[in-house]
Amino acid sequence: MGGVSEPYDAIVVGSGITGGWAAKELCEKGLRTLVLERGRHVEHGRDYVTEWWQPWQFAHRGLGEQQLYERDYPIQSKNYAFGEATRHFFVNDREHPYITPDDKPFRWIRGYQLGGRSLIWGRLCWRWSDLDFEANRRDGHGVDWPIRYRDLAPWYDYVERFVGVSGERLGLPHLPDGEFLPPWEMTCAERHVKQAIERAFPGRRMMVTRVANLTRAHHGRGPCQARNQCARGCSFGGYFSSLSATLPAARKTGRLTVVTDAIVESVLYDTRKDRAAGVRVIDANTGGEREYAGRLIFLCASTLATAQILLNSKSRRFPSGLANSSGELGHNLMDHISKAGATGIVPGLEDKYVYGRRPTGTYIPRFRNLGAHGEEKVAFLRGYGIQAGASREGWSRGASEPGLGADLKLRLREPGPWEMSLQGYGECLPRHENYVELDPERKDRWGIPLLRVHCAWSENERAIREDVKSQAAEMLEAAGCRSVETYDHDGPPGFSVHEMGTARMGSDPKTSVLNAYNQAHDVPNLFVSDGACMASSSCVNPSLTYMALTARAADYAVSELKRRNL
Amino acid sequence: MQHLQDVIDRREALRRAALLLGGALAAPTVAGVLAGCEARSVPDAAWRPRALTPDQADLVATIADHILPETDTPGARAVGVHRFIDAMLAESYAAEDRARFLAGLADVDARARQTCGRAFLQCTTTDQRGLLLQMDREAFATTPAPEEAPFFRTMKELTLVGYYTSEVGATRELRHAPVPGRFDGCVPLAEIGRAWAV
Repeated sequence: MGGVSEPYDAIVVGSGITGGWAAKELCEKGLRTLVLERGRHVEHGRDYVTEWWQPWQFAHRGLGEQQLYERDYPIQSKNYAFGEATRHFFVNDREHPYITPDDKPFRWIRGYQLGGRSLIWGRLCWRWSDLDFEANRRDGHGVDWPIRYRDLAPWYDYVERFVGVSGERLGLPHLPDGEFLPPWEMTCAERHVKQAIERAFPGRRMMVTRVANLTRAHHGRGPCQARNQCARGCSFGGYFSSLSATLPAARKTGRLTVVTDAIVESVLYDTRKDRAAGVRVIDANTGGEREYAGRLIFLCASTLATAQILLNSKSRRFPSGLANSSGELGHNLMDHISKAGATGIVPGLEDKYVYGRRPTGTYIPRFRNLGAHGEEKVAFLRGYGIQAGASREGWSRGASEPGLGADLKLRLREPGPWEMSLQGYGECLPRHENYVELDPERKDRWGIPLLRVHCAWSENERAIREDVKSQAAEMLEAAGCRSVETYDHDGPPGFSVHEMGTARMGSDPKTSVLNAYNQAHDVPNLFVSDGACMASSSCVNPSLTYMALTARAADYAVSELKRRNL
Repeated sequence: MQHLQDVIDRREALRRAALLLGGALAAPTVAGVLAGCEARSVPDAAWRPRALTPDQADLVATIADHILPETDTPGARAVGVHRFIDAMLAESYAAEDRARFLAGLADVDARARQTCGRAFLQCTTTDQRGLLLQMDREAFATTPAPEEAPFFRTMKELTLVGYYTSEVGATRELRHAPVPGRFDGCVPLAEIGRAWAV
């Protein structure tokens, strides 16, 4: 995979959504960059082994192998994208253990392969606003963000232009518009529900989600073919991933070296120079150790893995983990609440249907605690957005209704009624007591201390769930839906796969790990730009913000490197 | 022999794919592909159930065919729903779930002896259908927890999955577009004609 000799100008740990961006930016700015990925190599296209399989080609027809899942994938199999077609992009839980207290389960969803979870992500792309960046300062939870929307806005522009985000412009100050490709279409039933909700609840809006699925060809990728099977991998490059987009761009510079099956055990620290010197790596297959030297280190290993690496990077100067003079490393872990909402049947429109499988849904932006004049007071801080969608029921409805024979077959030949579903995604407060640490004794098969995760929801998140359910039901009632029912499939933190916040950004080195440029306060040539850097969680899907922060951090790091400040 | 050759060719192709993929992660996936290929390729006369006895497999195929019979398209037996159900029982189900399913099958025979005086397969088609309609009504009279689902609910669900994910079920009974190429959110149903399989 290339033969740049050491020391590298930059080492990027992880090849997921932020590792890919760091690699692209650093390579394009002239740095000879090494990307280390702990998982196996995956070749775009060729290794999407199930991409072309039709339903009848799956041995278990999508129902999967329950015994196997219970034994080897008890956590991963709870993720919506996990299944017979995608299992090879998720880790085997038995081979990759971590520890949680009995009363505090945490679901750590992982994909150990080149491209990481960018192969299996949900692809929703939202900008944060100052409602989010000022939230900690406003209500006193966590520490204030060292940046505001104006700092990140040009970088949102920059990453959106490359990613290719389809979406609608709504002009909402708290969910800023971006540079969008044409949006996906709403279904007939969604148009009906949208109009009814916007009429009954002034200020609430519904739109098609902003999503990294290309509605037209973009930088030689796509367009998306409307198969809605993204997590199998897409050889059209119809959705954004490290494999379809950023790593090829990095490779084009001739400065990229990728090494897979390389587990970063720790970051090496040079006490004399007061700098990170490189990384120690364990070969996933042979168990052999080796070191790579680099002038600049970007940790993009994912929130928990990055914390684990830093906590395991102990030295005389940093006895509790590298860059941890604040004591906040590993703390303030957050996720989003989800899987609470309501469903209902949209009456009529029986002569209407869809063509194709849209790879996304619709979205009702946050409408609580916006600080608007005269808005309704609620019993919780911050807010939630609602992911929604309406589609006609298919043949599977036959399994929950009586009837059999030719009548049943004839009935299921027709699509069923339009079902509308609303699901809240809510903000989680940053709390010091939600944290990860290294187990003092237990180690994985490579000798790395196991991560112990301590994380639980607070009253505020529970109150958000309640409001989501009642508001979702009210909106469906207002839209004239039948059979409106709320649901609440509460799960442990981690299940929204938006874990973030173990090495938070902040202005004060005494209370935060990273500065306004994702640079470690304690170690100038060490940057963390994955979800670990987050000081609060907003209620919107975080990946686009990680990408913008990474591009911005890379720009800053390279300029500092050129000024010889690193 | 044609079928056997197909299996061998696929096995070889997959062995090569496994070498390309490398590593333990790929292996179970490849095993799954093989199982799927074999189930599809083996002709009826050569197929042997693994979790079911041949008689039980016949019983499953017969019940499935009552649930989704031949109309202007083939029925459940013709598309091999019983093979899929056998594969699920053999490879996916835990021992206790498999035992529950087999007990459910035995119960069908026991009830057949009560209602028509013979084992289910020896009853007339009309008697068979009458008994299954009765079991269907009972199964949907209440909404039990998934782990306490009556046999007939499980049987019906497996039959529907096996049928509508089959090539015939997806492409002839319903409509299937492997690569739609675009999404139209509001079109006349008449233009599509039938429900989408996926």
